[in-house]
Amino acid sequence: MAAAAPAGPNRVPLHPGPLHPGPVVEFHDVTVAYAGRPVLWNVDLVIRGPAVYGIVGPNGAGKSTLLKAALGLVPLAGGNVCFDGAPLATVRSRVGYVPQRETVDWGFPVSVMDVVLMGTYGHLGWFRRPGRRERAWAAECLERVGLADLAGRQIGRLSGGQQQRVFLARALAQRAEIYLLDEPMAGVDAGSQETIFGVLGTLRAAGCLVIVVHHDLRSAVTWFDAVALIDMRLVAAGPTGAVLTPENLRRTYSGQPAVLEELSRAVATGGRTP
Amino acid sequence: MNGAGIDPLHAWNIATAMVVAAGCALVGSLLVVRRMSLLGDAISHAVLPGIVLAVMAGSRPGGLGVMVGAVAAAIVTAWLSAGLAAGAGVAEDAGTGVAFTTLFALGVVLVSAFAARIDLDAACVLYGELELAAFDTVSLAGWEVPRGFLTGTLVLAGVAAAALATWKEQVFAAFDPAAAQAAGVPVTILSVGLLAATAVTTVAGFGVAGAVLVVALLVVPAAAAELLVDRLHRVVALAAVIGMAAAAMGYVAAWQLDTSAAGMIAVVLGGCYLLAALFAPGDGLVARLVAVMLLRWRVVREDFLAALWRQAEGTVIAGPRGVLPTLAAVSLAAEGAVERTAGGWRLTAAGRGHAETIVRSHRLWEAWLGRNVELPLDHLHPPAEWVEHHIGRDVRARLAAEVGDRTGDPHGRVIPPESPAGREGPA
Repeated sequence: MAAAAPAGPNRVPLHPGPLHPGPVVEFHDVTVAYAGRPVLWNVDLVIRGPAVYGIVGPNGAGKSTLLKAALGLVPLAGGNVCFDGAPLATVRSRVGYVPQRETVDWGFPVSVMDVVLMGTYGHLGWFRRPGRRERAWAAECLERVGLADLAGRQIGRLSGGQQQRVFLARALAQRAEIYLLDEPMAGVDAGSQETIFGVLGTLRAAGCLVIVVHHDLRSAVTWFDAVALIDMRLVAAGPTGAVLTPENLRRTYSGQPAVLEELSRAVATGGRTP
Repeated sequence: MNGAGIDPLHAWNIATAMVVAAGCALVGSLLVVRRMSLLGDAISHAVLPGIVLAVMAGSRPGGLGVMVGAVAAAIVTAWLSAGLAAGAGVAEDAGTGVAFTTLFALGVVLVSAFAARIDLDAACVLYGELELAAFDTVSLAGWEVPRGFLTGTLVLAGVAAAALATWKEQVFAAFDPAAAQAAGVPVTILSVGLLAATAVTTVAGFGVAGAVLVVALLVVPAAAAELLVDRLHRVVALAAVIGMAAAAMGYVAAWQLDTSAAGMIAVVLGGCYLLAALFAPGDGLVARLVAVMLLRWRVVREDFLAALWRQAEGTVIAGPRGVLPTLAAVSLAAEGAVERTAGGWRLTAAGRGHAETIVRSHRLWEAWLGRNVELPLDHLHPPAEWVEHHIGRDVRARLAAEVGDRTGDPHGRVIPPESPAGREGPA
């Protein structure tokens, strides 16, 4: 598998049109509750692109919920979320979503190409089938994630890392400007991680805002321009180096001293791992 | 068909069963790939009170009013299933079980209580009366067409048109509802549409199979097709073919054996599923059995080669005996890997390379285990005896790099060098 596909002369630009100053996602006082039990409290957060932005925190901190709330997949108990100052419904096609890999049934009878083409549906609208142009574009997106030769394969016959890259290719096929990825590195081999972060880097270079829910602080230090530390509330947000301080980590991971110690060490060494 | 000796009444009945089976297979495919088979079962039962109430209100069985009643009952079922799960805290499947049996029972009670007043026969509703389908006809442009056939055709056309129009959204929503919803696909509306389609095809299916067995038409063709093909449009097409073939064959078989057509169709469908499970390429039971037997045969042959090599080395006295090793010897001799001697068999130059690869794999693994896992010496052989057949050249190279190629195995025996005939990778 090739790593991040290099930019070639024939590469179709990721963006349908010229860029405005940079995509922005704003969370205003967002509160979410499941069955009456609050899982996110009063999150106030403004994320400006272009950037690769990490949402980091312990298990059950509400990281995935924050993405789902932004996308209207879970109801807000309070507050609102804006994309470039507008509600989601008016800018849907500019917002790409990569759910957690385990949320779908990978035995489902579709091919890799079928899944990537789903990314083009938003632009196609009702009653129109993807045609040659969409197929060519989907094939190009597959090439970017290093899966060009697997287009016809049933999705269950892929490794976890390949499945995650298929999901990323589907998001690319949407030509979005804002990408929300939920744990794209969970259960993914090192080669696929490299490819995925490489693609995210090219998206940033193209002016996009990429928001990644992530659980591994060590790689967070290496890969994210900025992070938000979340533990049901927003603990801190800003440039990675300024946010991942021992003090902030203590406040976020207070219930898990062993994790905390390991993380502090990892952060102190700049995220380099063997 | 008449010329072939089939009564036109039978031909109409078969045609009715086939169009209904095709409609059910189409809707059922979407239910099965969404893992909603149980809900299909539930709806096929729970529509009964809706139908009875519609008939009591003056609608004709199979008419538009009945369809509306059925769809309403289907939506109530789905809503009650989810509501019981969320509100009463029971598991979703338990909620479905409570909701649909209660509604179905309500329908049975209504049918029996008002049997005198309404044109609806409990036996027909429960078991279907496919044998009589051709007798209830309507005039259509001068033709006498069975009502069941007409209903079935209209339902099939309607469901197929709806599926075609919303195909890509249906597939997206079925595969990844969260991403579909985020992309603006109206996932809930599509789900309700699928429920409505299930209800409508079920009503058409009542005339063929009855409330009890119509779920077989919904679920079994799609479940069998899913074993055989791996793209959704092919699942749908194959399910329709299976459903129609089973409907025709089941009807003819029931007619010949003078038994229930609905029952026979469901039995034939079960047989189709069994065949698919047995003979599916790759994952079918037969394919897996063949793969296991081929592996076993390879192991026998490789063990025989390795035993001859050890014999020549002097570490083993007697060669393997028995039926399978003898068969292996004969087949290896035919390939020129071994040759007969006065006392038994010996390796040819061609067979020696292969034998050395097996022994090398075995002894490298023993050496690695002996070095890295604290096992007694006599516990090293059994795992190596298994692993020797499964590691390829690159794994052997890494093992050799770690344990040191030149040294012997933990029993003090020589590890033979890598042979150019060695397998490239794991089989």
